[in-house]
Amino acid sequence: MKFNLELIKNKKKIISISTVLILLSLLGILYSTFNTSYKKPINLGMDFVGGNELRIERVCEGECSNVSPDSVLENLREIYNNKNVLNNIKLQFQNNNKLISIRTPYLSIEESNNLITNLDNIIGPLNYESKDSRLIGPKLGKRLLTNSFTSLLVSLFAISLYITIRFDKKYALFALLALFHDLFIVFGIFSWLGIILSVEVNSLFAVSLLTIAGYSVNDTVVIFDRIRENLKSKKEGYNETIQLSVNESFRRTTFTSVTTLIPLLSIILFGSYSLFWFSLALSLGIIVGSYSSILLAPSLLLKD
Amino acid sequence: MKRRQGWLFFIIFLLTLSVYLLINYPLQLGLDLQGGSQLTLQIIKEEGNVTRDELEAVNSVIDKRVNNLGVSESNLQTLGGDQLILELPGEQNPLVASRVLGKTALLEFRTQKEGTSTDLKTLQLQRLIIKELIEQYTLAEKSQNDNNLKVIQEDLKDIEQELNYSSTSNDLYGKLIEIKKYVDKEIINLFIKTDLSGKDLINAGRRQEQTNSNWEVLLTFSNSGGEKFSEITKSIAGTNQLLAIILDGESISEASVGSQFSSTGITGGSATISGNFSAEDARELEVQLKGGSLPLPIEIVETNTIGALLGSKNILKSLYAAISGLIFVGIFMIFNYRILGFVSVLSLVLYGFFNLALYSLIPVTLTLPGISGLILSIGMAVDANILIFERIREELYEGNTLTRSIDSGFQRANSSIVDGHITTLLSCFVLFLLGTNFVKGFAATLGIGVLISLFTSLNCSKTILRFFTTYQSLRQKNLYLPRNNFSN
Repeated sequence: MKFNLELIKNKKKIISISTVLILLSLLGILYSTFNTSYKKPINLGMDFVGGNELRIERVCEGECSNVSPDSVLENLREIYNNKNVLNNIKLQFQNNNKLISIRTPYLSIEESNNLITNLDNIIGPLNYESKDSRLIGPKLGKRLLTNSFTSLLVSLFAISLYITIRFDKKYALFALLALFHDLFIVFGIFSWLGIILSVEVNSLFAVSLLTIAGYSVNDTVVIFDRIRENLKSKKEGYNETIQLSVNESFRRTTFTSVTTLIPLLSIILFGSYSLFWFSLALSLGIIVGSYSSILLAPSLLLKD
Repeated sequence: MKRRQGWLFFIIFLLTLSVYLLINYPLQLGLDLQGGSQLTLQIIKEEGNVTRDELEAVNSVIDKRVNNLGVSESNLQTLGGDQLILELPGEQNPLVASRVLGKTALLEFRTQKEGTSTDLKTLQLQRLIIKELIEQYTLAEKSQNDNNLKVIQEDLKDIEQELNYSSTSNDLYGKLIEIKKYVDKEIINLFIKTDLSGKDLINAGRRQEQTNSNWEVLLTFSNSGGEKFSEITKSIAGTNQLLAIILDGESISEASVGSQFSSTGITGGSATISGNFSAEDARELEVQLKGGSLPLPIEIVETNTIGALLGSKNILKSLYAAISGLIFVGIFMIFNYRILGFVSVLSLVLYGFFNLALYSLIPVTLTLPGISGLILSIGMAVDANILIFERIREELYEGNTLTRSIDSGFQRANSSIVDGHITTLLSCFVLFLLGTNFVKGFAATLGIGVLISLFTSLNCSKTILRFFTTYQSLRQKNLYLPRNNFSN
């Protein structure tokens, strides 16, 4: 079970694949910034812009009856008579009409309770024990956004510093290049998800980017370590040694990715819905990260 | 060999200790797992940063108010330099708490300026009309009575003319509120500040008025407060100047002091505010006054509520995810590494126990993001094992003896493992420092996991492996390498 990746032969291919992925991400980010209703590089969720999210189940005997969201909204409009509670309200039914999920702009606790009571009157009875409600003020949202942003910058800086101290300049530069490549592509994928499926990113997305950064760098460091070690005991040429090192660490890197992906898949399949996109972002990051550690970063080290 | 045996006993001791800890000190579950509400309170300061003293002062006032509200098992903690987090477990309505906590509750006593009686009477009348209009507005809006709304608009214009003030709000309701605030301010301007305030209270209470169903709030002053009160009442007794009690910039009571008090003032150190309070209003005011006024205003910026049923569902889902993750990782490892894989499964089990035991010891409150941090760190812990096992395999392929391969495998993987752990720890550290409460849970469990995995993957795996290799039957090389490529 020895692996033989022809890194030297495929250098151009690898670099073009990465370039295409990066360009696609860039396209998503640009499209999202200029051509969507939210005009942001990525579809910012409630954590960052404030708002009210409510999920609550209906109590039904047997199957829940089919209700159209429009008729419920119609009823609500009658009750509220053009109050701003109904601006940008989004209402959905999930789980065979059982689960009601609602998004509105920020409401006070009082207004939110009021909305639930009105819903109960329209399509009740509701199971209050199943309630999941989040109210985030716009002020806090802005703060969370800056917080996430600084967290990312600070930890990227710390990781860069660590790598620069740990390796010499060339290695550090390429390890960081691979890292930014991974983060950029995951960001791009979520830009596209925002455009196509209106997936929103919340503070957990920032956390997943940070975690991906740690993983990606770790993977690259392990391979670079191996390259350094083999270059010291140089038996073959420079390029061949790099290729050999990559093949020697191939099993380890893929195995690690698999053992990390398995728990993440379990969360995606069995875990709570609030962790779904978080786990997906992490999984994508780990896949892209392994690709960049095994193929991209070492290819960049190759001499022409 | 003796040293390894010592480790084996140490590991068994740690495992027993962990089990003991977990049985006696059950894990604390976060609100997303047990159901409840969480409020984030933001301290508002116009200029400069909130100082540590100010944060402490706000914290203690809020703490008193929460205690006086009688919510059970609530938990209040500070977050960052200017936020507080209040947790109310179970099915407790956050509405009441939010109403009581959100107000500054600044209580002032003021005496009326001389010769302003007519002005005050006009303003009091206007205030009454505005209150009436606001009530009518709510009714008219509910019944969608456009005619009534028009009448309200007309009346509002009249008052604006009388006041010589024009409102700037866009909608009718906003205008009504704006005018009301303006009138409140004008009323307060007719009164002079005294040195008696909410700080001079030692207690507050409430009772139902005898003549009707309204409630009144009773104030008990401290000794010096009582003296101040009698001085103040003495100074205006028998005149037509009134005493105003002002709460958060709104006068809630204006009363005259009878001439019988002109020699000594009102003594006894207590006062009553009767301002048409409902039972709820009176209770809220009582709680606020008991806790004292907030040195800085606060705003509730976040509220999360999770039903108990959803909480227990979340626990179950997380358990499924964690257990299935562990099982599949275990199968993968045993399939690829045979006995070595089995060793890593054993050290993973140890890893799980040590983690949970540390959570109950520190203590770490387990939340959904926290659990995902733990599940994710399983991958991290296995990664260290994979690095080591790959090295051991290579050594075995090169024809080294089992003992030697194991030794140098652990040795040579060391630096890569430490590197990887450091980069992840860096991220966790930043997350923990800068993250929100939600994010902190994730950073804490991932960070703890990474630290423990250093011990379990480097030390526990080695000890278990050494223990296995003392048995001759477990020393065959094909138990360590898949047979089909042994000849490689």
